[in-house]
Amino acid sequence: MLIEMYGVTKIYPGGQVALKDINLKISKGEFVFIVGPSGAGKSTLIKLIFREEVPTRGQIFFAGKNISRLKRREVPYLRRRIGIVFQDFRLLPEKTVYENVAFAMEVVEASYKDIKRKVPQTLERVGLLHKANARPSELSGGEQQRVALARALVNNPDILVADEPTGNLDPDTSWDIMNYLDDINKRGTTIIVATHARELVDSMKKRVIQLEKGSLVRDEERGVYGK
Amino acid sequence: MKLRTIKYFFRESFTSLIRNRWMSLASIGAVASALIILGSFLLLSVNFDYILKDVESQVEITAYLEDSVDEADITKLNNGIAAIEGVKEIKFISKEEAIEEFKEQVGREILEGIENPLPNSFRIKVNDPHEVAAIAEKIQRFAGIDEVKYGKGIVEKLFNIIHWVRIIGMVIMAVFAAVSIFIISNTIRLTVFARRREINIMKYIGATDWFVRWPFLIEGMVLGLIGSSLAIGILAVAYNYLYIAVKINIPMIALLPIEQFYDYALGFLGIGMLIGAFGSSFSIKRFLNV
Repeated sequence: MLIEMYGVTKIYPGGQVALKDINLKISKGEFVFIVGPSGAGKSTLIKLIFREEVPTRGQIFFAGKNISRLKRREVPYLRRRIGIVFQDFRLLPEKTVYENVAFAMEVVEASYKDIKRKVPQTLERVGLLHKANARPSELSGGEQQRVALARALVNNPDILVADEPTGNLDPDTSWDIMNYLDDINKRGTTIIVATHARELVDSMKKRVIQLEKGSLVRDEERGVYGK
Repeated sequence: MKLRTIKYFFRESFTSLIRNRWMSLASIGAVASALIILGSFLLLSVNFDYILKDVESQVEITAYLEDSVDEADITKLNNGIAAIEGVKEIKFISKEEAIEEFKEQVGREILEGIENPLPNSFRIKVNDPHEVAAIAEKIQRFAGIDEVKYGKGIVEKLFNIIHWVRIIGMVIMAVFAAVSIFIISNTIRLTVFARRREINIMKYIGATDWFVRWPFLIEGMVLGLIGSSLAIGILAVAYNYLYIAVKINIPMIALLPIEQFYDYALGFLGIGMLIGAFGSSFSIKRFLNV
């Protein structure tokens, strides 16, 4: 079991209840969609996994380790096992595509040799090796998100979590990103995607976890987005 | 820490220094002006100290002898006083020497034809000026000593002044050090703020706090170092002018020699670096909490 949540409740300072008593298990190699309207708690659920937030009640285990009890200095090592992709890409505008991906390896103190080997390889995987020296501003939205994918993947994470990865993209490009995610999943990386994209979810036939007002209302294998 | 990582830190901090060159210049300017103010006060206080020390060291005890004391007793007294703990130097001044000296001061003509009224005396210097009163009292107890003088009251007052000057000087310097740290932390906050996106991404990727912190610390220290070098340069030039001007115009005041200024310069570089490091660590703290 890669991720386990037991009775997880998150109440933000100020009293807003983001998640209520969530029980959830995600195995290695799964592809999971988290769906639900805005404010249902999707982002909070994602943030709990990479420990940007800590649950108010309940326990979260990552690969058997209780991450709700992680010390501050242990958090970076959890995050190295998790690739994170955001709606707004979060690339560094003054760095080239290559540098943006290499940056993720520099940060975890990888060797120069490894960086030189892994970065082109990973860019190849998202079909952007030919744009290695371009800057993010010269790329389309879909291409930028693929760079972000490469950056999330380059350190071989156990899991890739994406919060609305296609939120800023047109339908065709969104398809493209989903296909890349599916491809990454088929090569063994667990994937969790929080999304609004109804059509994509419906046609991908993956596990769907639906949140409503902070509660888990549906957990279905090969599910659809729902009503 | 890997050598490669250290190289990365330096590359990052220098790239950032150049990329944000206007902000860097502003920071250097802030450090330099803060340190020039700090340095002026430091120099003022150090010089005050130096001058006072000079005055302190001139405090001496004069012990007048009774006229009846003969030469053998003088030698005995001399040895006795010299043996008192804390006495640094004792010098015998005969009646004749005393009158000669007096004549030098007031003019030879006035004293012409008058019988020498001055007694034999000892001039005693002590190691620690604070002990003057106690030593004077001990000397007084020797047989054959008529009167002991040491500027009673003046010495005590002087020490009191020195004491307060030192305390006030330290308070002023502490305030200026705090102001410097504040200015620098504010300017580096701008740099950090400009790079908050990058810090945020680094934290999501799994960078440790120290990995994020180092380039900013180095950046802060470099800014502090350049700023303090600038301050030292300006202060050195200014101090040199002042030193020469004082030497020519008010020769009785002995300012701290310019060479000794450079001893403080090294400490100044250290202070500049520390201020930079402090300033940047204050600024970055908030952004590490992701």
